[in-house]
Amino acid sequence: MDKKTAEEKMSQLEWYITKHCLWQYNSRGWDREIQNERILGKTKQILCGENAREDDSTADKYYWSEAMTLTGAFKRYFPWLEETSKEDITVIMHMLKEKMDYTMIKGSLNVELTKEQY
Amino acid sequence: MPYHQFECSECIPERLHHAVDKNPGEQLTDALPLGYLNTIPGSISERGCAYCGAKHVIGTPMKDVIHLSHGPVGCTYDTWQTKRYISDDGNFQLKYTFASNMKESHIVFGAGTMLKSNIIEAFKAFPEIKRMSIYQTCASALIGDDIEATAAEVMEEMPDVKVFTCNSPGFAGPSQSGGHHKINLAWLSQMVGTGEPEIFSKYVINYVGEYNIQGDQEIMKDYFYRMGIQILSTFTGNTHFDDLRSMHRAQLNVLECARSAEYICDELRVRYGIPRMDIDGFGFEGISDSLLKIGYFFGIEDKAREIIAEETARWKPELDWYAARLKGVRVCLWPGGSKLWHWAHLLHKEIGVDVVSVYTKFGHQGDMEKGISRCEPGALAIDDPNELETIEAMYKLKPDVIFTGKRPGEVAKKIRVPYLNVHGYHNGPYKGYEGWVRLAKDIYNAVYSPIHRLALLDISKDEIPTDKEFETRQTLSDVKLSDEIKNSTVLRQCTSSYDPIPALREKMKKNESYLFPDPETGELRKVPVEKLMKNKVVDVEQ
Repeated sequence: MDKKTAEEKMSQLEWYITKHCLWQYNSRGWDREIQNERILGKTKQILCGENAREDDSTADKYYWSEAMTLTGAFKRYFPWLEETSKEDITVIMHMLKEKMDYTMIKGSLNVELTKEQY
Repeated sequence: MPYHQFECSECIPERLHHAVDKNPGEQLTDALPLGYLNTIPGSISERGCAYCGAKHVIGTPMKDVIHLSHGPVGCTYDTWQTKRYISDDGNFQLKYTFASNMKESHIVFGAGTMLKSNIIEAFKAFPEIKRMSIYQTCASALIGDDIEATAAEVMEEMPDVKVFTCNSPGFAGPSQSGGHHKINLAWLSQMVGTGEPEIFSKYVINYVGEYNIQGDQEIMKDYFYRMGIQILSTFTGNTHFDDLRSMHRAQLNVLECARSAEYICDELRVRYGIPRMDIDGFGFEGISDSLLKIGYFFGIEDKAREIIAEETARWKPELDWYAARLKGVRVCLWPGGSKLWHWAHLLHKEIGVDVVSVYTKFGHQGDMEKGISRCEPGALAIDDPNELETIEAMYKLKPDVIFTGKRPGEVAKKIRVPYLNVHGYHNGPYKGYEGWVRLAKDIYNAVYSPIHRLALLDISKDEIPTDKEFETRQTLSDVKLSDEIKNSTVLRQCTSSYDPIPALREKMKKNESYLFPDPETGELRKVPVEKLMKNKVVDVEQ
């Protein structure tokens, strides 16, 4: 898959997340980093048929639940995912994580993200 | 996304960075309205105070509690009964409000002694109520009354009562949101962990940021119970004081209104390791995704799918009847804090209306991130608008209906724009599948009301048509519809009853539909209705 196509597909996934998912909007930057890392990481693993569970902790169960729901929605909205290779999915999901980190954390204009307490 | 300059606010230059036009192709990183800042002098804001946010929004929905404001009687009166946070056991929290009734002499000589006698008097007047919340106000805070010490004295003299103190006077924050923050953390510090609940299911949640407006909580409770999930506490709608003392025993915090209650979820995650799961209880897709992910968490996604299929089949034809008739209707989504993002995308997708503006009175920038992401390009996003800005926006955007609270709603009516009360609701509950249809019905009735059409005529200057015959909502709404939709045998109007909550309470009392898996064996069994109505909580030795 060329870069332009990957970017177009990544934009579709990003559109879905920004429109539907609340997990990306935690009020502190450090929480957003963890949410993006764990949920998008597990979503990529599920899409690629890999094991996405790390342990039996409630925290891991939570990230996995969000990832399972997101995977289902991705497949419902974007049938092209079923025909995309694991390698390409890995590339697209990596780009997506970078984009989400930028929009929601590094490039965000939300001044509350750096407050030290909840 | 350029910032939006209101003509009426040119004289208040600080307002420029509080409004943004969402244009196609632009991103949140281009512009984001400022939020959660002190209201600019000269701008007549629609906000409430921090005392109101703590007491009225979060404290008072607790149902077996004497809610006492330590301050002038006006503070408690003005935060009484204006929101329909009902309860299933008699609405004590709505019927009564309490104030220590501070006067000028108390400001000079102190009001602590009077407060103590008032607390005792209130408990004696309602001997069946053993729990109390005391709310600090500006007056009592400024003279330094120590409500914690007074509460401790009373609890020593009356060992069977418990008193929670909330130190959130009106000036303790830019808006009601400051009060949400304070009462979240006060409850966590004073009360969580002081009670041990009886766990009767393998699956246990706190339902957080849900205030049972016209029965919202009871709609969602029915879904959770059908999945076999025990709701340890609801923070704070239709809940008992003691349930909220045992929040630390849940496996998952299901968070609805993150604006008012994310703080306690974040702290419960840090202190007790309970994950925070944000959900949407509104809109078919929002609820379905939410039930499904809760189902995944507990490994009961099949149960969630059953409910989703059943409820969708029951209510979708009714939602679609309204969606066909509301397509393209222009709305301003102007709620307080969270509904701009709970509703923006699904109003458009599922009910067909165009959200031309979102605003928030007390939201933070995070709420604007969500709201702007979820509405369509072209919308105007405003933080903490003043009255002149909302009027200018309505003249410019020409909405067909406004979704807001009753104060700005009355302003809208004066310039002949109908409004729906999305704080206390018109004909709620609006949560759940049935609730979303009820909202669609209310929008339809607001937009196509023949009476409203008459109100658009100004008899002092407009020509009054005499050739119009009798009109109904449907003659107005069906003008542009295709025959296929008009004559559809699948689509139908809302069949929800006038008030769906009594039937749900009857269902609960009959206790025939809910099975909970035993926490040890997983065996499905009924739980006595008394426990469903009021769970046992035992005091923890401190």
